[in-house]
Amino acid sequence: MKTTQNSPKYSYYPGCSLHTSAKEFDLSTKVVLDALGTEWEELQDWSCCGGSIAGGVNRNVGLALAARNVVLAQQQERDLLASCSGCYNKSAKAAKALAEPEQREELRPLLKEMGLDLPEKQVKVRNVVDVLANDLDISPAIKRPLTGLKVACYYGCLMNRPEDITGWDSAVNPMAMDKLAKICGAEVLDFRAKTKCCGGPILVPQEKVAFELTKAILDEAQELGADCVVLACPLCSTNLELRQPDIEKAYGVSYKLPILYITEIIGLAMGIAPRKLGLDKHLVSAQSVLSKI
Amino acid sequence: MTTLQKTTKKKKFKCFFGIKADRQVDGDRMNTAFQQRVRKAGGKAAAIDACMQCGTCSGGCPNADKMDLPPRSLVLMIQRGEWEAVIKSDTLWLCSSCHTCTSRCPRGVRPSEVIEAVKTIAIQEGIENNSTRFNQIFVEQIQKRGILFEPELMYAYGGIEAILQQAPMGIQLALKGKLSPLPHKVKDPKTFQTGIANLKASSTGQSQTQPEKNSGHF
Repeated sequence: MKTTQNSPKYSYYPGCSLHTSAKEFDLSTKVVLDALGTEWEELQDWSCCGGSIAGGVNRNVGLALAARNVVLAQQQERDLLASCSGCYNKSAKAAKALAEPEQREELRPLLKEMGLDLPEKQVKVRNVVDVLANDLDISPAIKRPLTGLKVACYYGCLMNRPEDITGWDSAVNPMAMDKLAKICGAEVLDFRAKTKCCGGPILVPQEKVAFELTKAILDEAQELGADCVVLACPLCSTNLELRQPDIEKAYGVSYKLPILYITEIIGLAMGIAPRKLGLDKHLVSAQSVLSKI
Repeated sequence: MTTLQKTTKKKKFKCFFGIKADRQVDGDRMNTAFQQRVRKAGGKAAAIDACMQCGTCSGGCPNADKMDLPPRSLVLMIQRGEWEAVIKSDTLWLCSSCHTCTSRCPRGVRPSEVIEAVKTIAIQEGIENNSTRFNQIFVEQIQKRGILFEPELMYAYGGIEAILQQAPMGIQLALKGKLSPLPHKVKDPKTFQTGIANLKASSTGQSQTQPEKNSGHF
């Protein structure tokens, strides 16, 4: 484990989902970061990043919403740590724009409208998976290896695409979560659907299309005999877990496939109590995973 | 003559080997007026004129089979200035913003961002469907408090019917402590609301000039 005094302090940005439908992601992220000695503080006065939707309604609103949180992190002088892939992607894109002189001048009046001045200090925007896989060393903290647990790691879209915005892992065959799950002692399956889209942003107005996309992911995980799918995006989880019963009903299939966040898996392997990680909060019960380890 | 017609007519200079700069791949006349509007709506990122029609975007698109104009065709139509077909296309609302096209495009066109830009134009031009309605309500909901409150979003979009339909899941979420009864908000919702309102107002001005429809080969 890296020494505490050298590790950076992060502004943790939970986004709209982590305080509600993705509570277990919030809990497990905080518990794991604490256990690894990483300092964090919640980003003060954060707001919604606008997701994949706001920019398609109004360009200026989309830019301002995404940049607002990055500017707050700059003012609070800490790197922004996002867990939700959507928040991460939008914030990383905004941070890149804020660092480029021409786009910075385009953003300045927009943020002025939101009551914010642009600080000179730039900050990095980081994803929780990136920090866990590339900055921290979790291996000494593993106390209870997840031997025999078959996991399919699902990355989705926004964590690793487009590469010029994300860039820390492959857009075609990302391995960060595979690596983390392997360190946790789990058997990592070769999951071809790992970067397929679950249809998150069009779930409500184009339900049928989104269900079809999600079904393809669940189908492959089931075929491979996965005990659970491991991911790091609340929107993907909404489709894969919360809508799993709807998909089972619509297509006459049965999955009962637990969908866990990578931080829950790491927490379990570190020997942290399942309740502290929020494993009791899943709508598709994670009991089958707990009884296997 | 409007400024838009002017921009369509100029630019006839020759490139190397006699290829005309305004004739990209298939010899069609390029309509720069609509391209310019898309670029204005999408920032520098929307480098539409660089498209060489290779089709990598449509090849990787998870929803291409359901679209009336898969991404490659959509970009071609924008190049040709067929703006009516473009803004009426269901492609805009079937795109799930997975960015596979943008990640793979060998010419740096960023089709997913082109689509995002065209969506804003379509809304300005009065296109209405479930997706435009949902997306606009989504932004209105954020505008209220800065942080999304999902039950209210579902109600605003689908009315009481949506709430009833989602009730079983909602109850389960509430029992697990995953549905807060009260919405969260930013420290100063007033500034936030006015800010978003002003930003919305500042960008509606773009919609006044409509590009000429290109009398193409359709």
